[in-house]
Amino acid sequence: MTAESGDIAVRLDSITKRFGSVVALDQMSFEVQRGRLFVVFGPSSVGKTTTLRTIAGLERPQEGKLEINGRDFTQAPIAGRNVSMVFQSFALYPHLTVRENFAYPLKEAGTSAADIAKRIDEIAQILSLGHRLDNKPETLSGGEQQRVALGRSLIRRPDILLLDEPLTNLDAKLRDDMRTEIKRLHRQFGITIVYATPDELEALSMGEEIAVMREGHVVQTGTPDELYLTPKDLYVAQKIGSPTMNVIGARAGSDGVSINAPFGNFPLSGVALPSGTDELKIGIRPADIRINSAQQEGIAGRVRLLEPLGDITIVDVDAADQRLKIVVREAEALSLQPGSELSFAFDPARLHVFDAESGLHMT
Amino acid sequence: MADTEKKSLADRLGLKVHSGVGNAGWGRTLFAGVISFVYFFPVLWIILTAFKTHNDALAIPPKFIFTPTLENFVSVFSRAYSAGAVAQDTGFALYFFNSVFIAGTSVFLALAIGTLAAFGFSRYPLRGNDTYLFIILTTRMLPAIVVIIPIFLMFRVAGLSGTYIGVILLYTAFNLPFTVWMMKSFFDELSPDVEDAARIDGSSDRRVFFKICLPQVKAGLAATAVFGLILTWNEFLFALLLTGVDTRTVPVAMAQTIGGDIGVRWGLLAAIETLFLIPVIVVTFILQNHLLRGVTFGTVKR
Repeated sequence: MTAESGDIAVRLDSITKRFGSVVALDQMSFEVQRGRLFVVFGPSSVGKTTTLRTIAGLERPQEGKLEINGRDFTQAPIAGRNVSMVFQSFALYPHLTVRENFAYPLKEAGTSAADIAKRIDEIAQILSLGHRLDNKPETLSGGEQQRVALGRSLIRRPDILLLDEPLTNLDAKLRDDMRTEIKRLHRQFGITIVYATPDELEALSMGEEIAVMREGHVVQTGTPDELYLTPKDLYVAQKIGSPTMNVIGARAGSDGVSINAPFGNFPLSGVALPSGTDELKIGIRPADIRINSAQQEGIAGRVRLLEPLGDITIVDVDAADQRLKIVVREAEALSLQPGSELSFAFDPARLHVFDAESGLHMT
Repeated sequence: MADTEKKSLADRLGLKVHSGVGNAGWGRTLFAGVISFVYFFPVLWIILTAFKTHNDALAIPPKFIFTPTLENFVSVFSRAYSAGAVAQDTGFALYFFNSVFIAGTSVFLALAIGTLAAFGFSRYPLRGNDTYLFIILTTRMLPAIVVIIPIFLMFRVAGLSGTYIGVILLYTAFNLPFTVWMMKSFFDELSPDVEDAARIDGSSDRRVFFKICLPQVKAGLAATAVFGLILTWNEFLFALLLTGVDTRTVPVAMAQTIGGDIGVRWGLLAAIETLFLIPVIVVTFILQNHLLRGVTFGTVKR
């Protein structure tokens, strides 16, 4: 956020967009630096698509300001933005061949036929679609359709590329490939990408910067590490990180520097709780909990079930009437089975403490 | 998954039509053949009769083996009105032209106007959109016989009786309601994302309509055109009252052929009818691939 304004490709400033009585975007603000792969992350119907459509010019916000490359485009028509978009449904022109799909944006821009042909060859090669140029979209596989959609968006060399859940309609294996593909294209073209996704893994693996959305506004913006290590509130803490952070109700200790949790008291590292704070939520990441060997002391628990995922196993544990998830390496999990007793521990410094009411992070 | 569904749909609609015995098996194919024959028999009967002499046409039991003659077809265009008189032009060449011209023009106009209206109803809904659509449909709810007298009077006052423009306007108005309804349902099926993609690619609303939307509803246009054509082509009542000597259409002229000194000339009528069938069959045949896709469009969830 310290960048010069000249380096900002897109800036949304308190954008509000209502559809009738429904508020889709509520004081939405963020900045995207030029050349970044910026992820807008949040569950479905949180306003991601509306955000992208607003940047593209398909929606006009009622309030707020939209700047693209430093110019005010809030109420401007679509033309002149030099923004292109890939839709979740791909939105290929079904009556046109792949070649004609590629040519469409160039034709609309008045590009010469020779230039169009050259650029189609170029993009077809980059996306390995050369053998498909004369096919209609419906005859292509999902992955090919996706690549055509990307190609059609990139062929006119936009300043900003908007990707609206581009991988949601693909099967799992293909998603991995396309994630790599999109990252490669991002590097190759060096353009600014705003990428909307409800998928946490996608957000973390693709995003150089991520805006976490909730009910039409941004809760927190940051790098994947920042969001993981210092979530601003409970919402972000539970959205980022898989499996989800364990969250347990707790009370503030009478001394203000410790916490009474169902399975013990923990010291607070560094900070003191503001006076009057009573109800708390504490969060601990499943990967921050370790299972003790028999000799070590720790919190007693009982295994509910195991979810082996290959390298790691997620252990579902009952401890002091709470349900926790613990991530352990496959080798450690071998000795465990549903019903068996175990003892576990964690570093109190790794605890996240939230205000129970506002959900804000307190440490 | 969506891919395979789409493909099998294309197979069914596009290709299997010509492919003889498909997955249905011989039993069902035979059954379908019998049903088709029952439906087709009256048409076959008319075509056979067209090639019969007057006596053969009246023979009981009906003759299926006979010496075909073309005299009925000649008589359609030129015949003597009484025994021994000189053969005269019957005017049927003009009537056929009238039918083609009137039906063609009014269907074209209805498609042009109706498609634009349908796109408006689909994409830029008004407050009370459904009410407007319903009102449009109500114009087809009155039986023709109820409105014919006021229309006849209005046409006389306006000087439209017996003119091409009058009957073309009327048929266009006839075809408009279902054209709007049908085309709207086709436009409703299109993905709005595709249009938005075109807007982002730099298209104006006008170009989105002509370059993106219209090509996608070609099947719908074909289906609507054929329905409108058949409806208009066969229309009799209004044509009887509102066309004049020069603008008469074939159904009216055919009716006026009934009678004469040797009773009803069935062979002649059948010959007119046979010729009258040809244009509709040709158009339907040309459009049949589109038509099949058109009439089943929207019945399959995509």
